[in-house]
Amino acid sequence: MQYGMIIDLERCVGCHACTIACRAEWEVPVPYQRNWVKRLGPTMTDDGMAATYYPGLCNHCDAPPCVDECPADQVEKTFKDAKSGKTKTMTVSATWKDPFDGSVQVDKDRCLGCGACADACPYGARYVNPAMADDNSEGKVDKCTYCKPRVEQGLEPACVQTCIADARIFGDLDDPNSEVAKYVKKGAKGLEVSDGKIGPNSRYYGTKKDMGLLFTDYTPQLADMGSVKRRAMMASMVKPAMRKAKDIGMLGIAGALLVKGLSENENNK
Amino acid sequence: MAFNLTRRKFLQTASLAAASVPLSKVVSANTGVSKSALDATGTAGDKTVVGGICEMCFWRCQLVGKVRDGRLMKLEGNPKSIDNGTAICARGNAGIKLLYDVDRLKYPMKNVGKRGEPKWKRISWKEALDECGSKLKSTVDKYGAHGICVFPHGASAKYPMHYFERTVGTHNVSEASFFQCRGIRDTAYVATIGKAPGEKIDMPNTKVLFFIGDHLGENVHVSHIKQYVQGLQNGAKLIVADPRFSAAAAKADIWVQIKPGTDTAYMLAIMNYLVQNKKYDADFIEDHTSGFEEFSEAIKGWTLEKAAKECDIPAKQIKEVAEMLAANAPNVAIHPGRHVSWHGNDFQRERALACLTGILGAYYVKGGWVPAKGPKVKGVSWAKHDHGNEFNLNYNQEEDEKIYTNNPPGTPTDLIRDCAISGKPYPIKSCVVWGQNPLQTIPNQQKMKDLFNAMDFVMCVDVMPTDVTAWADILLPEKSYLERHDYIKKGTQWDLSKEHQQYISARMPLVDPMFERKDQVYITNELAKRMGHSDAIPVNTIEEMVDKSLASANLSLEKLIAEDGIHIQPGKDPYGIPEDFEVLLFNDDLEDAGHPGAPTYIPVEEVPAGYARLLYGRSPVHTFNRSQNNVWLHNAMPDNPVWLNNEVAAKVGLVDGDTVGFVNSEGVESETTTTVKVTPGIRKDCVYMYHGYGSANPLMTIGVGAGVDDQALITKLAIDPETGCHGMRNNFVKLIKNGKVLDLSA
Repeated sequence: MQYGMIIDLERCVGCHACTIACRAEWEVPVPYQRNWVKRLGPTMTDDGMAATYYPGLCNHCDAPPCVDECPADQVEKTFKDAKSGKTKTMTVSATWKDPFDGSVQVDKDRCLGCGACADACPYGARYVNPAMADDNSEGKVDKCTYCKPRVEQGLEPACVQTCIADARIFGDLDDPNSEVAKYVKKGAKGLEVSDGKIGPNSRYYGTKKDMGLLFTDYTPQLADMGSVKRRAMMASMVKPAMRKAKDIGMLGIAGALLVKGLSENENNK
Repeated sequence: MAFNLTRRKFLQTASLAAASVPLSKVVSANTGVSKSALDATGTAGDKTVVGGICEMCFWRCQLVGKVRDGRLMKLEGNPKSIDNGTAICARGNAGIKLLYDVDRLKYPMKNVGKRGEPKWKRISWKEALDECGSKLKSTVDKYGAHGICVFPHGASAKYPMHYFERTVGTHNVSEASFFQCRGIRDTAYVATIGKAPGEKIDMPNTKVLFFIGDHLGENVHVSHIKQYVQGLQNGAKLIVADPRFSAAAAKADIWVQIKPGTDTAYMLAIMNYLVQNKKYDADFIEDHTSGFEEFSEAIKGWTLEKAAKECDIPAKQIKEVAEMLAANAPNVAIHPGRHVSWHGNDFQRERALACLTGILGAYYVKGGWVPAKGPKVKGVSWAKHDHGNEFNLNYNQEEDEKIYTNNPPGTPTDLIRDCAISGKPYPIKSCVVWGQNPLQTIPNQQKMKDLFNAMDFVMCVDVMPTDVTAWADILLPEKSYLERHDYIKKGTQWDLSKEHQQYISARMPLVDPMFERKDQVYITNELAKRMGHSDAIPVNTIEEMVDKSLASANLSLEKLIAEDGIHIQPGKDPYGIPEDFEVLLFNDDLEDAGHPGAPTYIPVEEVPAGYARLLYGRSPVHTFNRSQNNVWLHNAMPDNPVWLNNEVAAKVGLVDGDTVGFVNSEGVESETTTTVKVTPGIRKDCVYMYHGYGSANPLMTIGVGAGVDDQALITKLAIDPETGCHGMRNNFVKLIKNGKVLDLSA
């Protein structure tokens, strides 16, 4: 099973309902986003004047480059298929690709907030929320989950439910009878990276002209993994330790200042 | 990846701390996957409250609220809705950010500073109402009811508007939704087919969609978009006339890149071609129209070539469009438009749309103009009285006839402004603004400010500190659409080819109001008591108003709640033309009143050298200026980039993303700046921007100064001669970069 989402650009009118519904459902703070709509054009293309939209979200890739970069220590995790009840145990860091539904998920408890996965994502589909920083992290990474908690309850993803043009279709790409699979047969395509093969599962369908414009403007490249890895290593190695040291140091200075302030205050009375 | 394995081992000690975060975990029963307490919980488990009716715009979709611990977390389309269904647009979804906007008005306030430069002092409701009541009463006592002018907008303004019009008795009411928007459309169709057209075209079942300036996709009303998208999916051809490659043009089969202001010439040429080549619906013309001969005679000069020259489009494209319409008639949808107050010649354009629909026989047929047969629910409000025409500014007392013969309800805005500013023919000394922001909806801001300065008393009622509220003496905070009862939303299923159903729903609060916000029935009744009209009060509470109204359809609030907020009943087949339906291709009454009897093209002022015509339109994430302080919507589109033709941009050295200001041909400069969007998708003689940005009120901490207020640049007034409505696209601008004014000669 592989969950996927189709975005039908013939239907999409670029209204942004999907992005705002996502904000409300998952309390995604401004200026961050789990999904987005970019307006493309109007511009002259080989097929004439064109304008369309890039409604983007996590692609829950077949080979997600983000997952491998997570530096959090690995733990054994047992996954269970919601339908069959089957289980599978895997060793995962703080982000993984679900062995049953193919979605890419994050464990915020163990996330270090280093941002390596966000840097590794060619689509910019992850962000680190610094407001969630705690003793062990610089914040927490957040991203589209394909609304896994909703889907498990039999609901549609929030963006799909609110789409005013029925331009977003969610389902199992591995099921040949699903609407999403039918779209793939009709020619729906993911924004595959130009320099590799990671298998994006959010896919676009539209006229030749619109698809041409979208793929010309938004075909990404793999991130520079060298810098991603450096960031991951630095962040995970140094930062928690440094933070601890810093916190102690700060407490020292702050404590001293506080005492000094109080005593001065006392003197001024 | 070997590196990763090594690295992970290496890092294990470093991240050990992360494994022991002391947070409670929620384990999903289905998958056993643990969910962090740091994850947002989602709204699926929240309490669902029914009865919401959106008013982020006036389409008013049906909502449910997701409520957690008394707080509204999310709005969704009511699953029972046969209108919007579970879908709501970006604005609808962002409603909770209006509800909890910290900048919202909270308490009654008194301006202890100057108008326009207010200093606000919190006062009690009693003091506020006493002040409003006594000031308004003293105006009526001294100058008569006509001494009060009213600028209302939205569902909450209906009840007070009726009070001032019907009970107090002033004609001086100007609704922006009529005089700066759709009023011309309604009265032009009334003068042609006897009815206001709404947007009642059967788009899902049509073969051709014909748009003049309609930019669906940027202009978003949920069930209307559903109809449009379904029509396109069903294979309808789309023809879009627009100087700009709009969201609709991008989906069009034919984009007519028409010169602004010439749309009527374009349609006259199409109609003349159809007439000359006998491609009209002869049976329909015989049975359901009058004046065909005079009409044909009046438009016969409009050859394809003449229109091609006037409209700056190829003659063969006009022919192609005419042929496409003829080939698919009568199943063609000629969109009547919505905001139509463009150039001061707009009544004629709207007449042309109505007549084009007629000669194609496209009334009451599949895919044509078809009014759905909705349910009847009686409104409950102040009793009507005839107040005569003695103080009607739209009445020529000597000639005993109207000045603007085809005005929409109310009095044309500039008749009120001119009278208020000059004191002639009589003084107007109090102004009530309710839910409207006339500074950002009515052209010529200075004139609006002059009106306020001429008043003895100004009161505003609103939810937000919009620009106009800075001119109030007393400012009253209103409950939002999510905290009150009022609007009755009724209609049918959106696809007329589906099972015929009708629905009735009423707005109900989804959460309790906070602070001291009150509803319009309370406020109006309290004013009425203080102005000596206690006896005329029709209802004591807003619930009573809604319940009485629902009773006319054998419903009640209680019953509606039991039916999940929406009552659904069997509907009726809307197709089939009423026998007495008639299209006045030539209208003798119009001719008698000195207007053209047949649709006529009236050229608009040419663009002066060095300038570009300022065009404006809708943003899909904003409803004019009303949503500009909404943090989610602002974040989605924080400013309104000005569209500039790429060749013009290259000539003046502007590149995409440059920051610019504006100066118009009357020397008015924009207070703020925006960015340039360089594109081949707009004509060289015009620029375009979204309407409703650039608030000037610092109390709107998100919207203030964000983007440019297009309305501030619309200073030159054009008045539609039949209706008295404004035309707002006859203003010309230059761009300013780094203090240098750029000549935009094409």
